[in-house]
Amino acid sequence: MRLEGFPRPLTLRDGTSLTVRPVKRGDQPALLAFYREMPQEDRLFLKDDVTTESWADRFIRRIERGEALSLVAEKDGAILAEATLYRPRHGWSAHVGELRVAVARSHRRRGLATSLAGILVKLATDQGADKIVVEVVENQVAALRTFAKLGFQQEAVLRGHVKDIRGARRDLLILANDVSHIWAAMEALVADSSPEVH
Amino acid sequence: MAKTEIRIGGLGGQGVILCGMIIGKAAAIYDGKHATLIQAFGPEARGSACSAQVTVADQVIGYPYVKQPDVLVLMSQDAYTQFGPTLKPGGRLLYEEELVKVDQQLPAGALTFGIPATRFAEELGRRLVLNIVMAGFFTGVTGLVSAEAMEQAVKASVPRGTEDLNMRALHKGLEYGRTAAQGN
Repeated sequence: MRLEGFPRPLTLRDGTSLTVRPVKRGDQPALLAFYREMPQEDRLFLKDDVTTESWADRFIRRIERGEALSLVAEKDGAILAEATLYRPRHGWSAHVGELRVAVARSHRRRGLATSLAGILVKLATDQGADKIVVEVVENQVAALRTFAKLGFQQEAVLRGHVKDIRGARRDLLILANDVSHIWAAMEALVADSSPEVH
Repeated sequence: MAKTEIRIGGLGGQGVILCGMIIGKAAAIYDGKHATLIQAFGPEARGSACSAQVTVADQVIGYPYVKQPDVLVLMSQDAYTQFGPTLKPGGRLLYEEELVKVDQQLPAGALTFGIPATRFAEELGRRLVLNIVMAGFFTGVTGLVSAEAMEQAVKASVPRGTEDLNMRALHKGLEYGRTAAQGN
């Protein structure tokens, strides 16, 4: 699906100007460079080994099949953050999107994750998602704050579900944002029912 | 322009009334004209026939009911069967081409303009914006209200958080309508 309104400029809290655009075929080398630069500790929360070319190819194919919607923030051709919303095409959770955001250490604490996640939440909502979930490890305080700002609330805890780089087991929190109310209001507006029956 | 009578017809749940309301709001509030709206509902909230009668004029409107519309905007076959023959000779029929089959019952000289509005709405992400696609199509084909007025009317009429997609739906219909009007 072609996304309208991109590329779009993004100015971070510290005044840094970036460009946000959808990921496209041909971005594999830049994506790999971004993830290979990231410390292993930061990559542990990802479900795939994002440093391999086979992952990058699979990822682009998923985007092209419409199973994932991915944005990057870049400066001078270098990717500084990547955010993806996975949307299953079939099954009983086709209305649910799963969000993932990764930001280069050099550009954290400037509102970049919040901005990218916010754009994706909006896009997902417009494209039919009723609920968006994200997984955050209990000690990722900044991420918890970011998603809380966007309306996510804790919905489940998987005890000792992840092991960090030192082998310590930590809880995995499932945060969810039920965005169905936004379009429920529109649904009520187009109901074409007489006000008298309410 | 003395007075233009418009009837919008379809099924409950397609946003027929909101479509009419937005056109009227664009004309009256943002384009400085006069407009009236009459709405008719079936007994059920969804799936029953419903229609809106909109009159737009430069002068004060003394009689708001639409008997023989200059423009018909139709989103269901039932609405076409019911309202098609009432179109003014030489009037314009705008219809959802995957839901309405046009036949010979239209008055002489009628101009017809079809749009796959439901498909466009689904491609945009939400079938719910079908009526906004149709509102944009109406604007593009007729030019009766300005695009700027329609944009403002849509923004002022839809729930917060849905503005972007509704604006994309409006522009989709608008562009398709302008092209259709040039080709007719």
